[in-house]
Amino acid sequence: MTEPTPETDVPPDATPAVCDRCGQPFAGETYLTLHRGLDHGDALSEAEREAYEAALEEEVARLRRFRLLALAALVAIYFGFLMTYAVVT
Amino acid sequence: MRLALAAVLGLSAWVGVAAAHSGSLRATRDPIAAPTWLFLLTGGGVVGVSFLLASFVTDRRFVDAVHDWGRSLPDPGRALRVLVRLAAVSVLALTLLVGALDRADGVRNLAILVVWVVWWGGYVASTYLFGNTWSTLNPFRTLAEALPSLDRPYPDRLGAWPSVAGLLLLVWIEVVTPLADDPQLLAAVLAAYTVVTVAGAVVVGPDSWFEHVDPLARVFRFYGHLAPVGVDQGRLRLRLPGGALPGVVLDGRDDVAFVVTLLFVTTYDGFVATGPWAGGARALAGVGVPPLLVYLGAYLVGAAVFYLAYRASARLGRQRAETYLSATYLARRFAPSLLPIAAGYHLAHNLGTVLVLSPTVAAVAASPLAPPPSPPQLAGLPGWFGGLELAFVLLGHLVAVWVAHATAYDLFPSRLQAVRSQYGITAVMVGYTMLSLWIVTEPYVAPPFIAS
Repeated sequence: MTEPTPETDVPPDATPAVCDRCGQPFAGETYLTLHRGLDHGDALSEAEREAYEAALEEEVARLRRFRLLALAALVAIYFGFLMTYAVVT
Repeated sequence: MRLALAAVLGLSAWVGVAAAHSGSLRATRDPIAAPTWLFLLTGGGVVGVSFLLASFVTDRRFVDAVHDWGRSLPDPGRALRVLVRLAAVSVLALTLLVGALDRADGVRNLAILVVWVVWWGGYVASTYLFGNTWSTLNPFRTLAEALPSLDRPYPDRLGAWPSVAGLLLLVWIEVVTPLADDPQLLAAVLAAYTVVTVAGAVVVGPDSWFEHVDPLARVFRFYGHLAPVGVDQGRLRLRLPGGALPGVVLDGRDDVAFVVTLLFVTTYDGFVATGPWAGGARALAGVGVPPLLVYLGAYLVGAAVFYLAYRASARLGRQRAETYLSATYLARRFAPSLLPIAAGYHLAHNLGTVLVLSPTVAAVAASPLAPPPSPPQLAGLPGWFGGLELAFVLLGHLVAVWVAHATAYDLFPSRLQAVRSQYGITAVMVGYTMLSLWIVTEPYVAPPFIAS
């Protein structure tokens, strides 16, 4: 399916980072760097590629932190239910 | 990642077992072993947990591979298509005729069996389990295409809103009238629907009518996106169930409202058969409000609340994900993930009826105008069937969570953004699960004041 241009809505007081290739606005430089690498990956300059790889690494680190939190939430939910069932039924 | 998938499967099996003895979707159920609030909380918890588990799958290539997987299928051929269309028109004519002429009521009447068991129960399930064949089969379209078209331009500003109104109207008629018992009434409604549909299609042209206005064609088209067989660039393709949904972009708010309404009407149908509703409706009627107005009010308010809740979830997603994509665009992208939920409930509600009444259909179809006095039915379904029904509901939710996950990965350059963008839709799914499980656990109370 062909992708239509995503509809965007930039608040008037915001200063978006705009992609110079497709014009899509992003809320931060990191998002733009990642977008460039993902959607225009075959036409990156050396500096852009390096920035993309650095952004990916940082993203992986933050993902790892999120996974730990998600795992903690899963454990809490699991034992929460276990205890509740043990007490209630 | 593989571990996460195994965990999802393991968890769903565990919940399937835990929930199986808590209740089934049918009117006769076992008493619930756990208190209702805990049962509801568990249902909501499962959806929340499946979101967390899906968020562990962070490999973009894997997420893409799941929804890009596909194989080409051979074309069924023109002759078969013509034959099938003629058969569908004959079935429509037969249904109208039997409904108008036959005095037998309920399940002894072929018109009622064809509409409610064969078509609504069986055929509708085929559109999401196999593929949308309605665009070919649609007897109303066959009739309309046989007539000359006036080809008046369809007013674009109306969008697909007429189909939202049409869907609400059809389900409204189904809820407040004894459409499943009275064959004459059913034939009259079917005849009216045929006249309106054919006339509309003649005026604006069949393409515009079935694209924007006809609610049935639209329901089947949306369900068809969920099915493993679909059309891609003019060719039949095999894909994973739900695999096409992350790529579906709805046209606008009207389409979003349509999908949300589809989910709402299923819920309303169950909601009016609960004790608290019967109590509330009687109390309101007691102070002088016309009962039908109570039903209509709850119907319209409920539809609006569902839509607004979904809109709010899109706004929450936008806010959490730090994105400049508009809330409307997010709503258009995430709404298809609600379709597996609607399909799961449809299957759970109807599969039992279709199985039990399939011998009836065969017996009555053999002599439509002189049906046997008590046509055969399956003696009953095995005890584990209730668990199977619950499993369909659960499976619908799991596919929905996965579709939302894949959609988010498609939308956002950052994977954390993708996770955060799903907070809103996950909250909506958790809330919806708890609401519908509550409806399921409430004992069936015949809706007061209406004849169904």
